[in-house]
Amino acid sequence: MSSASPTVLPRKKQWDSESISLGIGAESDRIIDSYQESMYHYYIPVSRQLENPSIRFTMLKRKWEAETAMSSSVTEISIHSAYQEIIGMGPIAIPYILSELRQKPGHWFWALNAITGENPVAPEHRGNIRKMTEDWLRWGKANGY
Amino acid sequence: MGKDEIEAAFPGLIKGGFSITSPSTADYNCIAWAAADTGNWWDPHPDYFWPSGIPRKYSVEAYIRAYETLGYTLCSTADYEQGYEKIAIYVNPDGEPTHAARQLESGHWTSKLGQIEDIEHETLAGVEGKEYGSATAFMKRLKN
Repeated sequence: MSSASPTVLPRKKQWDSESISLGIGAESDRIIDSYQESMYHYYIPVSRQLENPSIRFTMLKRKWEAETAMSSSVTEISIHSAYQEIIGMGPIAIPYILSELRQKPGHWFWALNAITGENPVAPEHRGNIRKMTEDWLRWGKANGY
Repeated sequence: MGKDEIEAAFPGLIKGGFSITSPSTADYNCIAWAAADTGNWWDPHPDYFWPSGIPRKYSVEAYIRAYETLGYTLCSTADYEQGYEKIAIYVNPDGEPTHAARQLESGHWTSKLGQIEDIEHETLAGVEGKEYGSATAFMKRLKN
């Protein structure tokens, strides 16, 4: 596997217990999201946004997260159209996915498996999202990501 | 996710009332949370946790059998019963399980909403609707 350095766009702050106590929560996330979106539209014409893999990935990820947030079914989460589009990006999406996993564990395993054809998750880690994440990050390191 | 966004997804919570009881996390899902497991995401998918020996199927029967491994048995009602813990399984119009909630000592219910927060809601109807369908199967076990 070849290595690649993705241009990772600014990431919104996670809502943790500290931010709750400071009164910073979903509203500030929405402001940051709106700011990021306005920046994209200001600097990059919409017609060129989808040509940039970093922007394409970020836009698809946002749509996927927003539309599957309430779902508890891995199959439902993974067959979402935006998620499938990310899979369709092929190996170019791998650095972006691994970068996401480094920041926050999430259900990227199906996509990674579909793109790479590999499954480094130890059987005893199945269902443990943090350990599954560690297994994939270890795979990424071993494969030059 | 904010309270207003949760209410938008589950209008039944506006009437019934609810509170957010945890930060957002993808470490576990509602099926695990009903089983009091915060270390795993329970799902019939082959790469996720599912109790040993239980069919990996998105069916009510498989979910019931999964909870039976924890000592739960089917019961006819969600009404609070002294000395028992209860869970409710939600099913969509296609007959697929979508959600599970666990009853608290107060008689209220606790739910993990997908990949976001846990909430405490007064009634099972609070999260019924377009997203999760309706609470259809009820199970109970003796409290320890």
